[in-house]
Amino acid sequence: MEELENLKKENEELKKMNATKSDWIAISAHELRTSLAANKWMLKMFLDKDFGSITPEQEGFMKKAFDATERMLALVNDMLAVNHSQDATLEYHLAPGNIVDLIESVIFDFQGESFKKGMEIIFLKPSPEPAPIMMDSDKIRVVVQNLIENALKYSDKGNSVIISMIARSEDLQVSVKDHGIGIPALERGRIFEKFFRATNAKEKDEIGSGLGLYTTKKIVLGHNGELRFESEPGSGTTFSFTIPYAGSGTVEKK
Amino acid sequence: MAKKILIVEDDTFLQSLAAAKLAKVGYDVAVASDATAADKELEKATPDFILLDLVLPGVDGYGILKKIRENDKTKNTPVIIFSNLAEDKDIMKAKELGATDFMIKSNFTLDELADKINSLIGI
Repeated sequence: MEELENLKKENEELKKMNATKSDWIAISAHELRTSLAANKWMLKMFLDKDFGSITPEQEGFMKKAFDATERMLALVNDMLAVNHSQDATLEYHLAPGNIVDLIESVIFDFQGESFKKGMEIIFLKPSPEPAPIMMDSDKIRVVVQNLIENALKYSDKGNSVIISMIARSEDLQVSVKDHGIGIPALERGRIFEKFFRATNAKEKDEIGSGLGLYTTKKIVLGHNGELRFESEPGSGTTFSFTIPYAGSGTVEKK
Repeated sequence: MAKKILIVEDDTFLQSLAAAKLAKVGYDVAVASDATAADKELEKATPDFILLDLVLPGVDGYGILKKIRENDKTKNTPVIIFSNLAEDKDIMKAKELGATDFMIKSNFTLDELADKINSLIGI
């Protein structure tokens, strides 16, 4: 009995330590983003000649510094996503939520980015609106963000991203379809591995840490859902995830 | 006459860069580092657009946004929340309080911000 009490105590301690660590990561990420954003803005202003003309040599170095800043920001974003998903492996804050609203709000966030690429994000909303699902909305937001971000990142200007949803008897299925570069057949088995990036993804965009899909899958599995994809190199990829209505995100499936 | 923009941002580096860029594009820019300074600027002149940070000393961006929307002069003024907080709850809250848009600072550059403002109010 005493041993059990000790274990319980230890477990509580570990939970507390983990919460402190997560908070610390979240605070550092905010600070890092702020100073990295300042550097990024400033370098872009130099490159746009807002502070007057610069020599080709200066321009070359500033471009490098700008790209390096972008890479660091991508890493900070991934760090935050992993932080979220690691919280998820310990604890879910499940509550009935409206996933249609959540998706709309993520699309709203990506307006600037899709506009920049001349791409349209189309959301085919189901009718009638699906019943609320049990989800951890902050974590499902990361899933939707990652899938839309990838769809935009690995597509060319002018293409569209289509998000659709099917309400089934036990769960909801959300699909994000792009007309991008696709996933090479040989690498399909590896795309959910930590730090893995497909060859053509690296060619298309050197920025990326290979944590996005890893995190996405982890969160979906944590909700007892499934994450699948279909891909045709050169013509696009569709990722679909399911979330059961009932939810049971306490045990992480391997 | 140039359109007026108010930037509420406590980080002086970010504030001065944003002010420089938007002035360069042709706006008449005022800055404030906290809610009290923002109040003073809003009393002086009603801006055509407000760029608002969330994490501020004293009253935060949500508090300022609430007041902006309660004020008859600024209740319809476009307000973009410009923050590095990007959690679901932050974005939802800002939208509920009447933010026109929510942009994550580190995801944008100032020329893109200027384009966005231009699309909302012109130059």
